[in-house]
Amino acid sequence: MLEIRNLDVYYGGLQALSNIELDAGKGQIVSILGANNAGKSTLLKTIAGLLKASSGTIRFDGKKIDHLESHDIVKLGLALVPEGRKIFSSLTVLENLLMGSYTPRARKTKEENLENVFHLFPHLKERVDQTGSNLSGGEQQMLAIGRALMSQPRLIIFDEISLGLSPLVVKMLYDTIKRINQEGMTVILVEQDVKRSLKTADMAYILQEGKVSLRGDPKNFTEKEVKQAYFGL
Amino acid sequence: MLTSLEPLINGILLGGLYAVIGIGLSLIFGIMKQVNLAHGELMILSSYFGLVFLQLSGLHPLLTLLFVFPTLFIFGYLIQAFLFNRVLGKGMEPYLMISFGLSIILQNALLQIFTPDARSLKTSLVIQTLDVYGLFHVPVIYLVDFTGGLLMIALLHLFIKRTYLGRAIRASADDLSASKLMGINIRRMYAFAMGIAAITAAMSGVLVGMTFTFYPHSGTQYLIIAFGVVIIGGMGSLPGTFLGGLILGVSQLVGAQFLGPGFQLLSGYLILLIVLTIRPQGILGKK
Repeated sequence: MLEIRNLDVYYGGLQALSNIELDAGKGQIVSILGANNAGKSTLLKTIAGLLKASSGTIRFDGKKIDHLESHDIVKLGLALVPEGRKIFSSLTVLENLLMGSYTPRARKTKEENLENVFHLFPHLKERVDQTGSNLSGGEQQMLAIGRALMSQPRLIIFDEISLGLSPLVVKMLYDTIKRINQEGMTVILVEQDVKRSLKTADMAYILQEGKVSLRGDPKNFTEKEVKQAYFGL
Repeated sequence: MLTSLEPLINGILLGGLYAVIGIGLSLIFGIMKQVNLAHGELMILSSYFGLVFLQLSGLHPLLTLLFVFPTLFIFGYLIQAFLFNRVLGKGMEPYLMISFGLSIILQNALLQIFTPDARSLKTSLVIQTLDVYGLFHVPVIYLVDFTGGLLMIALLHLFIKRTYLGRAIRASADDLSASKLMGINIRRMYAFAMGIAAITAAMSGVLVGMTFTFYPHSGTQYLIIAFGVVIIGGMGSLPGTFLGGLILGVSQLVGAQFLGPGFQLLSGYLILLIVLTIRPQGILGKK
């Protein structure tokens, strides 16, 4: 579904990513891990079109997307739940979700999608008219995920969704992600929580200083391998 | 009998006009965090367009809005799409420079085409007054200005609150990159927003053209009024801008009544200074 080859990205004058090669098959859950500043968020932002690569290709469902702007990438069915949630704080929960269905394709099925999101997150349904800024961290994260779902994606990327949330809330979110995946959604996960990430994923990539240092089925990773891939010791 | 209330009432009515003058500036700052120094010229351009359509069609000045609205929308859309969008993400200075340059070009173009003669959109409304139950008098043109201003702001409010595009505009002011992730084409949206700001300039330009005489250089004094309105009411707040307009209008006319007609502008600016001192973000301003 997603194919990245020879990706180089520069950020703030430094090379943030070097020669990245990554594959996410349809229906898979792919995990991307690494220490802070390893380049995980840079990679996600580049895939979603917020940053531009200096060389390399990104293909989504066979179509080249590396030269496209974010608003066109979303239209193709690739959604990003960004780091820090980035919900629209002055809009209500409902308006936030409606923003998710901004693209023409998503707008046609917005009633249906809204129902699905409320089904997944009944908590949000109760807070439909509350302003974004009044929500707790967990509720904001649910809203950010719901918003991404409203765009009717075929691939969703989750960037560090467990940050600042209680273990109970995180477990609920991950159960929801598994459910979404079981219904056919391809998922890419970036996480700080290594154990949970490796438990959930079909494929994992570990980044170190902008390069892929380990890839494969996480069930086969040894602790030593992971530590090495993370810190290069 | 209640004629002493006239400066207050007229101030409120004039304030409605001032509010519409300010709303274009406030919109662009609220959405793009930019200050359009050519806003006054967009207004006066509208007054001159009104004049042209008036002479071409012989319609009532208010009806020329049917032509001036689309003309200004397209003009606003184009200057955003081809001028201002080139400096997106580069901070405030390039935008200020471009808008300042634009104002100079527009002023001088108007001077060239229309000569420095005083103009106005002649209508009998200017000399009519309304006798309100014999209690006080109100110039009809002020009523028209207030109604026009109120209508424009109400429509704008509805648009921002209820439509997808209005929501997108609010969303992009909250978080720009998240908006991109929703499928919003920011360049196109900004062009549309500028078109809307130009429509408000069209409204205020035609109303001003009917109420006062105008010259090619009149844009500057209205830009200053717009600044005053927005500073008093609060940048980026629609109800704040309306309030700011009312306060400025009332300050001017009540001040003129007590201190003398020469003090009209000064009274307004004194109130502006007071607001800046005790509440710099404006009465309904955020941050």
